Amino acid sequence: MSQYEVLNNEKHRQLRIKTGHSAALGDAVMHVMTYPMEFRDIQSYYPILFTKDPGTGGFFAAAVLGFEADQNLFLHGDDWDAPYVPALVQRQPFLIATGGDGGNQAPVVSLDMDHPRVNQDDGEALFDADGNSTAFLNQKIALLDTLHRGLQHSKGFVDTLLQHELLEQITLDITFNDNSKKSVQGYYSIAEERVYQLQGDVLESLNQAGYLQPIFMAVASLPRMRDIIERRNQLQVQQEV
Amino acid sequence: MFAEFVCHVCGDRRLIRHFNTAFANCNRAAELWDTRGNMKDRISRVIIVGGGSAGWLSAAVIAAEHCIDSRAEQPFELCLIESPDIPTIGVGEGTWPSMRATLQRIGLSETDVVRECDASFKQGTYFRDWQSGRGETYSHPFTVPIGYADINLAPHWATLPDEAAFADAVTAQTALFSDCLAPKQITTPEYAYVTNYAYHLDAGKFAALLARHCIEELGVKHILANVSQVQSAENGDIQSVTTDAAGEVAGDLFIDCTGTKSLLLGEHFKVPFQSCKTYLFNDTALATQVPYAEENEVIQSCTQATAQPAGWIWDIGLPTRRGIGHVYSSDHISEDEATDQLLAYVRNVAGVQDATAVVPRKISFRPGHRKEIWYRNCVAIGMSSGFVEPLEASALVMIELAAGMIAEQLPATREVMDIVAKRYNRKFLRHWDQIVEFLKLHYVLSSRDDSAYWQDNRAASSTPDRLSELLLLWRHRSPWHQDVEAVDDLFPTASYQYILYGMGFATKPRSTACREQDKKRRQATELFEKNAARATQLQQALPGNRELLNKVREFGFPKL
Repeated sequence: MSQYEVLNNEKHRQLRIKTGHSAALGDAVMHVMTYPMEFRDIQSYYPILFTKDPGTGGFFAAAVLGFEADQNLFLHGDDWDAPYVPALVQRQPFLIATGGDGGNQAPVVSLDMDHPRVNQDDGEALFDADGNSTAFLNQKIALLDTLHRGLQHSKGFVDTLLQHELLEQITLDITFNDNSKKSVQGYYSIAEERVYQLQGDVLESLNQAGYLQPIFMAVASLPRMRDIIERRNQLQVQQEV
Repeated sequence: MFAEFVCHVCGDRRLIRHFNTAFANCNRAAELWDTRGNMKDRISRVIIVGGGSAGWLSAAVIAAEHCIDSRAEQPFELCLIESPDIPTIGVGEGTWPSMRATLQRIGLSETDVVRECDASFKQGTYFRDWQSGRGETYSHPFTVPIGYADINLAPHWATLPDEAAFADAVTAQTALFSDCLAPKQITTPEYAYVTNYAYHLDAGKFAALLARHCIEELGVKHILANVSQVQSAENGDIQSVTTDAAGEVAGDLFIDCTGTKSLLLGEHFKVPFQSCKTYLFNDTALATQVPYAEENEVIQSCTQATAQPAGWIWDIGLPTRRGIGHVYSSDHISEDEATDQLLAYVRNVAGVQDATAVVPRKISFRPGHRKEIWYRNCVAIGMSSGFVEPLEASALVMIELAAGMIAEQLPATREVMDIVAKRYNRKFLRHWDQIVEFLKLHYVLSSRDDSAYWQDNRAASSTPDRLSELLLLWRHRSPWHQDVEAVDDLFPTASYQYILYGMGFATKPRSTACREQDKKRRQATELFEKNAARATQLQQALPGNRELLNKVREFGFPKL
């Protein structure tokens, strides 16, 4: 369970954050949320699909990392094997809180006290002895700021896709090299044919909102699926060796 | 240049110069078509008299199929005349799973329906005290038995060593009843399901939502007025109705949704009423509403039907309140006795405080239906066509079926209307017979001996012949696919199985040996095991009814 606290330079002065990547640090996830402003970075390495939040039924864009729960095929021991790590992973264990109800309050930086990265001994300090934020924390705050703006923009993006019926359900039926089969469900992709039928005002409004480019980014990301299938095949080979 | 032409309208031979003039001298054609070539007796104006769930649901289903446009080349208009003075009876808070398809078809979002109609999810009916009156229970879920297309599990269930209830053994759905679980998750798209479901809803709010949708989205013309007179045409059809606020309203087809008054079919056309009281004794309902003790109290995910000495009590959980009512036979007990029994039930489920606040509303009805439901250019939908006790929530589904058939088979002309009417009557009279038989099934199988009501219910003279025959047949074999008489039979054979075996009815083992007995036995065993596993899985995966309804309020269902 997550337990978030608003970051405070008195209360949290002694805390340190473990850096790097591993399953023990909470990185073993099959997908991670992304947002249109990040698509350019994501699509070079990860397929972008859409899935539903089990708590709200709402759609969000996700970078796919594996084929089953807790499987992250980019995680090799203590290494994240890709030049770009999704922002929603980088931000751990921090979160921007907007004070609930409609987010009227100014966003504040919060910290998940139960996150495995949070401890008192190892990693980067958050504050110096005087209670000033460290360069590490400043860097995370800048990231959270970017993330916050990206996620605000993302909500309108998904609503627009649904409004124009540009999402369609997909089932990935994959046969791996070891002949094992996997049917991956619960994902949705851009309905490419319908995108090509869009005309005039709709196209213009999508473009003005900055949604047209991410639509094509998401479409262009799909061949990355081949890469993670290959990663899954390699996993098998490594285990056999 | 003249050519000889055989007129296919009147059959005469004529010499014509050009095809355009071919019908110019044909008297029959002049009778049929106007100068623009439109059919003269084309059905282009449908008038619904009466609002309520019947009127508005019918309007929505028809308008969802036929574009309303008075200025089109071939105009079609749909008007609903609603009295500002007559309150709706608000009958029927229970629906069938067919309602999901109906709502989808008329273009309503499920999220809106749940939010605006105070709706909750219904997965079937839970019966208490029907067998002997000593606290025994059984379920009639909306899901057919597992493997139903391939194998009849009833005979295999009968030989199981443990005493699992029939419904529990063959469907995972009843496992959700006791924990008040929902039939789907918040991620499940609108109208899709994990387990089949319908709704409990506030009928008044439902009619209001339908009215708004009809007027704002579907182009139905709403006339607020009282109908004072019915004007006849020369041929005996209804030509128009006279209203106080909107003058004469003429139409080609009139749909009578005036409730038990049956203004057009009953009062104007005097189509006789066919009473079903010989079979179904209940003729009075005492309805009330009871608040929840706590704001977040669980909501039952099925209708609770508890048998009483001379009737039964319904208990329906909506998000904001419970609807509770006693439906009984006034020939067997007095209103005071019926009220006492209702209050005893409320005290039991909701506490003494709520029981003292109860002021039941009395609704008297004649169980039965009109002998013809479509007569001349008038068809009745809802209580104007007939009404029986709400034991299997048949009122709203009959409205859906009626409106659905009219929408699909809307007569093109007055000439074909009589054919449609004849077929419509045949179909709906069969529906009424089946409703009466299926409801009666709940009573004849009871062994309750605590009152004349239950004894009278078992008298051979109070049982429809066809039902007596079926019961005799089913002593020797269980209901199965060939018992279906028509594809649109109201109650699937699975429903008969649920009631029969829920009520403890015994079907004898087959007298001949089954050639594939071992194989079928294995298949049945596997299905019973699969069902038990599925029940456990669903209990873990599905949220509570209340929990899901709260989420729908907050987030809404996804469209996809």
